[in-house]
Amino acid sequence: MKDYDVIIIGAGNGGLAAAVTLSLRGKSVAVFEKHNLPGGCGTSFRRGRFEFEVALHQLSSMGTSENPGPLRKQFREYGIENQIDWIEIRDLFRVNLPDGRGYTIPADRRKAEQSLSESFPEEKHSIHRYFDTVWRFCEEANAFAEKSAASSGEPPALKKLIMKTLFPKLYPTLAKYGLRSTQDVMDEFFKTKELQLCLSAYWCFMGMPPNRFPFSILAKCTYIYLTDKPFYLRGGSQVMSQALTETIRKNGGDVYLSDGVAEILLKDGAACGVIDEKGREFRCKKIISNISPTMTYTRLLKKNEIPFSARDYLKPYTVGISALTCFFGLDCPPEELGFTNSFTLNYDSLNANEDFLGAYSLLPEHDPIVATCYTVDDPEGSPAGTSVITAGSLKYSAPWEALPPEKYHEMKFKAADIIITRLEKQYPKLREHIEELEIATPLTHMRYLTHPGGAIYGYEQDLKSSVFFFPTESRIPNLEFASGWVNACGFGPNYMYADKVAKRIAEEADVK
Amino acid sequence: MKSIKEMLLETLKNGPEVLTDITACRRNGKDIITEIGRVDKKIAEYHPKMLNLEVSEIIPNGNEAKTFRLTSENGYLPPFLAGQFINLFVETDGVRTSRPYSLSSSPLQRGYYEITVARTADGFVSAYLLDKAKPGDRFEANGPAGHFYINPVFHKKKSVFIAGGSGITPFVSMIRDILESGKNRDIILLYGCRKENTALFYEELKEKVLAHPNFRFELIVSEDESFKGRKGLIDAEIIRETVQTTDAADFYICGPQVMYDFCEKELAALNTDKKRIHREVFGASKSIQTEPGWPSDLTGNEVFKIKIDGKIIPAKSGESVLAALERAGIKAPVCCRSGGCGICRVRLVSGKVFTARGVLKRYADEMFGYIHSCKCFPISDLEILL
Repeated sequence: MKDYDVIIIGAGNGGLAAAVTLSLRGKSVAVFEKHNLPGGCGTSFRRGRFEFEVALHQLSSMGTSENPGPLRKQFREYGIENQIDWIEIRDLFRVNLPDGRGYTIPADRRKAEQSLSESFPEEKHSIHRYFDTVWRFCEEANAFAEKSAASSGEPPALKKLIMKTLFPKLYPTLAKYGLRSTQDVMDEFFKTKELQLCLSAYWCFMGMPPNRFPFSILAKCTYIYLTDKPFYLRGGSQVMSQALTETIRKNGGDVYLSDGVAEILLKDGAACGVIDEKGREFRCKKIISNISPTMTYTRLLKKNEIPFSARDYLKPYTVGISALTCFFGLDCPPEELGFTNSFTLNYDSLNANEDFLGAYSLLPEHDPIVATCYTVDDPEGSPAGTSVITAGSLKYSAPWEALPPEKYHEMKFKAADIIITRLEKQYPKLREHIEELEIATPLTHMRYLTHPGGAIYGYEQDLKSSVFFFPTESRIPNLEFASGWVNACGFGPNYMYADKVAKRIAEEADVK
Repeated sequence: MKSIKEMLLETLKNGPEVLTDITACRRNGKDIITEIGRVDKKIAEYHPKMLNLEVSEIIPNGNEAKTFRLTSENGYLPPFLAGQFINLFVETDGVRTSRPYSLSSSPLQRGYYEITVARTADGFVSAYLLDKAKPGDRFEANGPAGHFYINPVFHKKKSVFIAGGSGITPFVSMIRDILESGKNRDIILLYGCRKENTALFYEELKEKVLAHPNFRFELIVSEDESFKGRKGLIDAEIIRETVQTTDAADFYICGPQVMYDFCEKELAALNTDKKRIHREVFGASKSIQTEPGWPSDLTGNEVFKIKIDGKIIPAKSGESVLAALERAGIKAPVCCRSGGCGICRVRLVSGKVFTARGVLKRYADEMFGYIHSCKCFPISDLEILL
């Protein structure tokens, strides 16, 4: 039996980053991971000549090496920045509309504004006003976040009243837009549906339709991707996961693969260790759970140990969306099919909110299709003359969970068939060029992530449960959370949030 | 007094409405304890951690093989695609090892699985199963898994199955699936055997030909001059003659390594589109020393040392790193034993290994020195990390 300062449950992005941060500060850490690979969502798999990225589309917050963003700085501190070949992605995305027209948004604020103004000249002024608002909103949000980080605890009553009066004056844009839906804000700025779809595209990164997607997340996505540019990396996200794993080991930490945590041990109601799947007991001062709070409480504690307050606390949070994805290895280069952008969002109608309701059904008949052709920006990522595309839509797991097992494979094939048929309207002859095809359903995500609902973005990130309301708090002393379930989901946000949690834990330990 | 957070949020546009929503949800939301056990139960329907199987019947098949009918201890078996395999664990002479076996039973029923085991020259596990296993014996297995199946989304309607010896097993499952469910597909089976009496499922296949116009079957015998039918190997000529146009079909090959190499060349001679050729991985070739690239100064009998977890274990160059771990009683995760799935991935800290063909490594594996232990052979002393 070994004792550790901190035990981390799950080698997902948050778990790995937390472990590196702690190990760099001299803390002894162990990461336990059920799967045989580290990374959680940050992984890839092989079929035939191809390697398929599972989750990463565009890495945010990187910036350039001369002008590093916060994530690059974190990787620099970890010593992994230069181990990895970073690939800057040219465009944010392309939106393909049902009339066959498509709009590409360059990854540069001025160019994006210009290109959109040319496509929608009648709304030129609104476009500029919108981008100004997004920038002001993010700057105010950053300033406010810095200010709140500096203060701790509840201020006295009088100060509270003053703050309440001052807040809308000091942070007017934040106050006006901080808790509104994307659709609401789009309607305020733009008349043209097409333009709204071009600017709201990031809803698909959080799995919320525009009428429920918090504008503040959209604004932040737009701002960070345009400021720090979207990035990919040679070899895909498994390379980052592996680099972090090796860094933990180099710093003296342990990463146990194919060895999940089976049970959290409590002493007087506080976490004090774990039992792993092999039945071994490990003691620690702190536990960081990189898995969902739901599974942490319900799977790793005995039923009578789950605090009532935790059950109550998690009530406003609904398990979020999963995905249905086809992974294509094609025997032709991207341009032969007409893929000119890596990240595309394909709509069958202009009513994204209506189409999104397809997410509750089994098959992707009308759902917007997200397609990523990695080869466009990373031509060496697959053999010469081939391309790799992942395409699919966001799906809730319920209809897939309800499926009788004997129907499963048939429905998987049917779903893929629909996706291909729909994509062929935009990219003819896609089917003819398929050399490898793998299909992942919500049940596939459930299998590999052990997340309820096969959720890929944690709890639903709607207005009432994200941004200001993430369920960050733990109801068990010495247990903390760091994952996309308790923070904005995505690679960058998870690495950075885990770093923050780990730094705080390291500091608290040092004070003691 | 309200918290500062709440007070500030109330000043936001739409803030009071969102705060009301939260209050309502706290009263009416779902309790997390309804989730207890749900995810694990759902995953187990498709991918149980381990299948606990019991031999219910052993049926002779051809002169040298047996079909094992396996039922599940808890009565449940997960669905699979015709062509997939299970990896069966066997403990023999104190060593726990495993072998992947294609399921030969039809996926249309899951009351039992069947695997068909043929005797192989140095078959550690096959000998055990054929000579020692009896009804009532229990085995663990993982799977079903594997990517050797017909994908109707992009494979052609006509399937040409090229089977060698016990490589027939996945095809039997596919043939049963297609014919019994009345799928609108055409099958041509070219089955190569040494002798007619070693052919597996021979009677069943012959009967099926008579009953189903969309199924053609040719047995090609290589070592029996007296055989009345086709003799020789499955070459371009036989393929051309039976299949006619190769561009309207998908080809599926399962058999020994020599057969893959041979048939792939023959198909290439017919200008078959490479992506229309699907091959099952079929374990390592009989002796690794015959693989292209094997270091000429090694015989396969050298014994090296592997340092692992503070222990030193012996490892023969002609046996995989995985086999060395198993002989030493070290439990390592494993599934396909063919280099494809990567479950047996370990980190090579130091030393050199020879990697057999067919290993599908990730880019990150190359970068950080990971190997698939099932298809890597020690050619020096090694240190590895599980």
